[in-house]
Amino acid sequence: MSALLDVKGVTMRFGGLVAVNDVGFSLAKGEVLAVIGPNGAGKSTLFNVITGVYRPTAGKVSFDGADITGKPAYEVVERGIARTFQSSRLFSDLSVLDNVIIGMHTRTKTGVLDALFRPGASKREMAACVEKAEALLKAGSGDLHAQRYRPAGTLAQADRRRLEIARALASEPKLLLLDEPSVGMDEVETDALVADIKRLRSKNPDLSVILIEHDMRVVEAFPTHVMCIDYGSRIAEGNFETVRADPRVQEAYLGKAAAHA
Amino acid sequence: MERPMPSGAPSVATASLFVVASQLAGAVFLYLVLKAEGGWQVIGLLALLGAGFFLLEKKPRIADLAMASMARVPLLAVAMAAVVVLAFPFAVGSNTYMLHLLIVAQLYAVLALALNFQLGSANIPNFATGASYGIGAYVSALLAINFGVSFWLTLPVAALAATLFGFLIGIPSMRTRDTYLALVTIAFGVVVQQLLNNFDFTGGPNGLVGIPAPSLFGHSFADPLVIFGHKLPSQANFYYLAAALVAVAIVTARRLHGSRIGLAWNALRADEIAARAQGINVAWYKVLAFAVDAFLAAFAGTIYAFYVSYISPDNFTFLVSVTIMTMVIVGGMDNIFGVIVGAFLLTILPEKLRAFSDYRLLFFGIVIIGFLMIRPQGLFPQRMRDYGSHS
Repeated sequence: MSALLDVKGVTMRFGGLVAVNDVGFSLAKGEVLAVIGPNGAGKSTLFNVITGVYRPTAGKVSFDGADITGKPAYEVVERGIARTFQSSRLFSDLSVLDNVIIGMHTRTKTGVLDALFRPGASKREMAACVEKAEALLKAGSGDLHAQRYRPAGTLAQADRRRLEIARALASEPKLLLLDEPSVGMDEVETDALVADIKRLRSKNPDLSVILIEHDMRVVEAFPTHVMCIDYGSRIAEGNFETVRADPRVQEAYLGKAAAHA
Repeated sequence: MERPMPSGAPSVATASLFVVASQLAGAVFLYLVLKAEGGWQVIGLLALLGAGFFLLEKKPRIADLAMASMARVPLLAVAMAAVVVLAFPFAVGSNTYMLHLLIVAQLYAVLALALNFQLGSANIPNFATGASYGIGAYVSALLAINFGVSFWLTLPVAALAATLFGFLIGIPSMRTRDTYLALVTIAFGVVVQQLLNNFDFTGGPNGLVGIPAPSLFGHSFADPLVIFGHKLPSQANFYYLAAALVAVAIVTARRLHGSRIGLAWNALRADEIAARAQGINVAWYKVLAFAVDAFLAAFAGTIYAFYVSYISPDNFTFLVSVTIMTMVIVGGMDNIFGVIVGAFLLTILPEKLRAFSDYRLLFFGIVIIGFLMIRPQGLFPQRMRDYGSHS
């Protein structure tokens, strides 16, 4: 298996602060990587570097055989990396349906002149988007489809997370980055989320996923490839058992004394 | 906004009745406002309008019914609107002042629709719409006066020139946001007005005089318009021209709003970072909004120049841009119909309040604040896109 995503020696400095320090990993097609680590460890910054929100101070990000280091975010999406945000960033005054359709932006083509002078083509494109969006809304747990004309800002927390995932999937990604998808979900909803991700993977075996998670129930569900980051550096990588047993990981989560107790 | 879509669509008969009745009522109301003389009549009509909007605020179902009716019988709605617009000058008759107000209101409706792409759809506070309007007017007037270019040819040329100007403001403004962006556009607006004021070839503060009236198939727009033996004053020519432009602006706005471009603008209005993460080239879409705004504004400018046949920098001040912005905000951001209503209200109201002489502006302010208190989101707020409830 050739690597779909290859991150080499990525460092991200903000002034004196080193948010990500020489982190490297690679991810194969169809693989799931869980990234764990305490708050402020640099996990989300790593996502921001991969998706082109930040240009790394050093290092290289390759995706699908091409160098995407520092490419603008909108181009990265087009190449097939979609993401969700830790604090869900929905288009809150637009309907649930519109949110998903906007997610298809890179897969649609209508320009200003098309919209003005070929309204039929523009309408057909929109109708196809609506159909796809409705299917995506029906696919996940919860009843997003029934709420499709509600403004996204009025959704309950769990539905907001689900909608973010649906919107990310709308861009037909090869790699899906989920930034703490289970935040604000109760146990039942978290289990449904895990089931959603598993179903998604069985439907698209080629889809790779990187998951930032604090909830170990979710990490446990995808135990093959786990990476732990602390203070911007990768401190452990391997399967869930190995990483969990790693003394540095225990120290990072529980503090020095507890780890040795 | 949280209500689900109305489940029972109105029957064709109900919808048709509603469409015809509401449009006729709107036309009659507009006629009465234009006809109103003296303070009490104006106050009475304003109170009626206020009550109407109050009802609309309390009973949002009326707006739902209106939208559902329009969707049910769209052809009838368009045909009826066309009949009303075409017939209106016949009702007005030889009252050239009323026609003049209607022409100006329609041109402002186009300007407000142009700005709506930015302010309403993408939340870009552009204070330079007046400048684009001015560039359109000056370019076409200069071409007509100096080179004898026909009105119909100056229309696209002026629009292209203004679009270029739109790109010009758009590019530096990509780097700024919100308040700073507003400042950049204000600066552009002021600079354009100062240039018009200081250049020799623009006639300086005296402006340009003697812009020839356009003609179509040998009929000069300076001559009265004779239709089926009815003689309408020469202003009617420009009334119909402006109406045609409003129609073009509405079609443009609807098509862009309903396409992925409108959605992209809405996305960057709601959250720029999230918009970028959906693959939207935010900078490009902002510049695009500037260009579309300038393009439409220039059309309005051209018609204005040929209509009044005399333009000066005073017609295109910063205040004009602010007025256009107020029309969009009062009418309803990102709502085509609302923006047009806002433009008509804010054009006609100050004229009608002349009865209050010295207190005119005070009254004007009070009325606007009053309407915003009744309808805080604008007279006709933005609505969710409806893709029908199939499946």
